[in-house]
Amino acid sequence: MGEVIVVTSGKGGVGKTTTTANLGTGLASYGKKVCLVDADIGLRNLDVVLGLENRIVFDIVDVTSGVCRIRQALIKDKRYEGLHLLPAAQTKDKTAVNPDQMRELCKDLRKEFDFVIIDCPAGIEQGFKNAIAGADRAIVVTTPEVSAVRDADRIIGLLEAADLREPKLIINRYRPKMVNRGDMMSIDDMNEILAIDLLGVVPEDEQVVVTTNKGETVVRDDKSQSGQAYRNITRRILGENVPLLNLEEQDGLFSALKKMIGLK
Amino acid sequence: MTKETLSNSTTSHPFLGSFPVELAEMVDENTILVQRTLRSGQSICHDGNVVVLGDVNPGAEVLASGNIIVMGSLRGVVHAGVKGDTNAIILAFRLRPTQLRIGNHITRPPEDESSDPDYPELARIKNGVVTIETFNSVIK
Repeated sequence: MGEVIVVTSGKGGVGKTTTTANLGTGLASYGKKVCLVDADIGLRNLDVVLGLENRIVFDIVDVTSGVCRIRQALIKDKRYEGLHLLPAAQTKDKTAVNPDQMRELCKDLRKEFDFVIIDCPAGIEQGFKNAIAGADRAIVVTTPEVSAVRDADRIIGLLEAADLREPKLIINRYRPKMVNRGDMMSIDDMNEILAIDLLGVVPEDEQVVVTTNKGETVVRDDKSQSGQAYRNITRRILGENVPLLNLEEQDGLFSALKKMIGLK
Repeated sequence: MTKETLSNSTTSHPFLGSFPVELAEMVDENTILVQRTLRSGQSICHDGNVVVLGDVNPGAEVLASGNIIVMGSLRGVVHAGVKGDTNAIILAFRLRPTQLRIGNHITRPPEDESSDPDYPELARIKNGVVTIETFNSVIK
């Protein structure tokens, strides 16, 4: 029996879809059978980010309304063994699916896959309720901005009310230099408000944009720090105990020297 | 979904009979205990006193006809004495409200963030003005 994880945030543009794509690719690279579900009906993106847009024939609404079987709608990613996508519909809206149908869908998918990762739409309305309906666990993505943290806090409250206990936090687009200057919320600042387990911190990285625009995922990029962060998060999901990435390293030789002589 | 309104229950106190007469007058039955952190969008509304064992995050609100005590950081909106009781108090381990109301007084913290005390504080109305004081100076 697989595990159903929903990736959510409340606020838009914090990196839910990017996170979903990278975790999916990451888990698949560890030999897991993964199904990514795009629950953002009407504004589908996950297929584009994964570079699978041109292979869509059936979508999630076709499955829930019985037009086709799940197997027919699933798109197998040929680059990564074990990675599958169930795309959202683009011509319908969030009301085309209801929570009961999602629960049923997740029940079927978890029989086939080790991990089912649901990309939740922004907001707290029907789309959100659909996305969390069948989930066992939740990952909340936020960026170090007051608005995103506020929305994350709201989402955590709603998840707890829906009995999705102990959601995990991913902090995205973190910029250590700005934090050091006091211009950005630090990990501690966010932890003080949200007070949930931290699954990982992904630094701001141009490489994310570069890979995403090519329909690839940064998790497969060995050189980038964000890729390393996503690989670490993947391993934590698999139950490994991986220490947080030292984001200061990229500051260069000078600060490394300072650290060595204990100036910090 | 999470909006909860806890109504006042007026059942008699089971232990009240065992108190000495002069103490019994001081016992307040209408207090509820909220044993979790209130997150953004969550709200507690109660006819009586409210004690929160946790934080009140920004975007959350606590409304009470009596006093409000927060055993944690208070960062949201609080209104004590909703029905106009100007004797109501608000006490928090870390008093950093978005907005603080007592009775018909509405206040917000000063714009400059110079004061960021690390100890419990108490807000109440003194001479018609909402005043914030250190909790320790009040209890003795």
